[in-house]
Amino acid sequence: MTGFDLHRAAAVARKEVMHILRDPFTLALVLGLPVVLVVFFGFAIDFDVKNLALGVYDRDNTRHSRQLVSVFESSGYFLPGAVDSPAAAARGLDSGRYSAALLVEPGFGRGLGGGGRARVQFIVDGTDNSKAQAVLGYLPGLTGAALRKFGAAVPADPVPLKTRFMYNPELNSRWFVIPGLAVIIIGLLSILMTALTVAREWENGSMELLLSTPLRPAEIIAGKIAPYVGLILAGVFFVNLVARFGFGVPFRGSHLLFLGGTVLFALASLSQGIVISVVTRQQQLAMQLSMISGLLPSLLLSGFIFPVESMPVFFRYFTMILSPRWFMEIARGVTIRGAGAADLALPLAALAALCALLLAAAFKKFKTDLEP
Amino acid sequence: MAGYSIKTDTLEKNFGAVKALKGVSFDFQEGLIHGLIGSDGAGKTTTLRLLAGLLRPADGSLTYVRDGRPSSFAEFRPGLAYMPQQASLYPDLSVAEHLEFFRDLYRLDAATFKKRSAELLEITRLGKFRERRAGQLSGGMYKKLGLMCALLQSPSALLLDEPTNGVDPISRREFWELLYAQSGSGMLIIVSTAYMDEAERCARVNLLDSGRLLAAGEPRALLRERGAASFEEIFIKGGAV
Repeated sequence: MTGFDLHRAAAVARKEVMHILRDPFTLALVLGLPVVLVVFFGFAIDFDVKNLALGVYDRDNTRHSRQLVSVFESSGYFLPGAVDSPAAAARGLDSGRYSAALLVEPGFGRGLGGGGRARVQFIVDGTDNSKAQAVLGYLPGLTGAALRKFGAAVPADPVPLKTRFMYNPELNSRWFVIPGLAVIIIGLLSILMTALTVAREWENGSMELLLSTPLRPAEIIAGKIAPYVGLILAGVFFVNLVARFGFGVPFRGSHLLFLGGTVLFALASLSQGIVISVVTRQQQLAMQLSMISGLLPSLLLSGFIFPVESMPVFFRYFTMILSPRWFMEIARGVTIRGAGAADLALPLAALAALCALLLAAAFKKFKTDLEP
Repeated sequence: MAGYSIKTDTLEKNFGAVKALKGVSFDFQEGLIHGLIGSDGAGKTTTLRLLAGLLRPADGSLTYVRDGRPSSFAEFRPGLAYMPQQASLYPDLSVAEHLEFFRDLYRLDAATFKKRSAELLEITRLGKFRERRAGQLSGGMYKKLGLMCALLQSPSALLLDEPTNGVDPISRREFWELLYAQSGSGMLIIVSTAYMDEAERCARVNLLDSGRLLAAGEPRALLRERGAASFEEIFIKGGAV
């Protein structure tokens, strides 16, 4: 009586597939969301700072000063525009017309030639600190390039420090963002899907009928989850395809490991959706709750954009109970670093534990009667 | 078919401060059609849900009997079918898909299913509408589909919650004929209804009013005993008796 019957679970799964195929909203959401996200994060949102308006006041106006400006221009990071006074540059920063200003003092060219000091002032708008950080990051490279151009002797570093970026040598932000999209897509979609489907059975009245049949909760849960695991895998496969062939993001690790992590994360999220719908029993409320508990953690607390390490202490520990954070480490680790199962032992173990916990909660919370 | 019967003893159920059932004792004997008659809010749905194991009684007891021996609900359940009052089928699934879904839930083998579904489609005259989706069926056809899903497994006990509510008079008559055809096979059938005229169609009636059992017994005998011309009269005089 209490045993799990695979046939009955399969019947629920088949019925669910029919619902999915006949509901244009679900289909559009599942197939459309990955496309929208990839386009959005792949093309529109670029964390690399480029084409910044740069106000240039060149009071020196010599060959060297013009060369300096051309180095900034040819870097592609800046779009220089001449201003006719330092005050005009300041006004441009105030009004937001310029993100940075370059002021070349008179005697710059002469100073480089050995007659005194060559002085340049660089002002950055600090309103948007991520932009300001990026601009400051470009400076050493640009001044080095300018010095080489002038043929000046580059002063020797007292401590020669050579920096090399592993795994993503150009620090291409798409390599960082797109593998993380799998996390957002699963985190949001899977919670939403199961939350809606079980709540729909309650609203529809069909749960009352199902509960009066020999169908066991475990069979309902398994039958409800299985089709969505398939759908989610299709979505993730699509994102990986676009990442690889559309954006040239490498996939360095094991596909099997990635698949394993994906299934664990999908199961955890789908179970979370079931818990939500069992508690709410209403589609509207289930949708709102799954948006909040699905989108927010995967977008903000998973390290997708903001590194977990730089979060306040409370949140750093809080993210440990959120499955998106662990899957984010796995997704990026496997795709970009080519990390193996041993390297990812902690996130894998944590994800498996959370998955087991959420599944257990779904089973425990699932009601077998109509008691309010 | 095993003889199924259910007895309840001073059954009580509360929803918060609302007392839905105030100690009712029923005797549902095997092989008969029992009517639960009462207006909205009398406790009919609560009673059926308690019998179907979908609610737990606050007090009192339920006794399930199989072949003259008391049995646990778990043993009783496989032979039990229940048709809820509210719409509970899937509007996007067709008649045939509903039958196939319930075939899988009840684990019917192919031969039994083929025979039984053909039989049911025949007597409900829904054969022509096999491919029609439940959302597009008329009220009467929808109820018949619900009944088919319940009857598919050839249950020994059938609980129907207001199966004829909102159905036109001709479909209602057809529905009752379907029930009579089933009860001949020894099935225990419990039907709730708010239509007083349907009380006389039952072998036994239980008149429910605000969670209390007003009267129970064989319909005609009951009317004679109370000196009433109709069941409405018994309800109106209810408190005085």
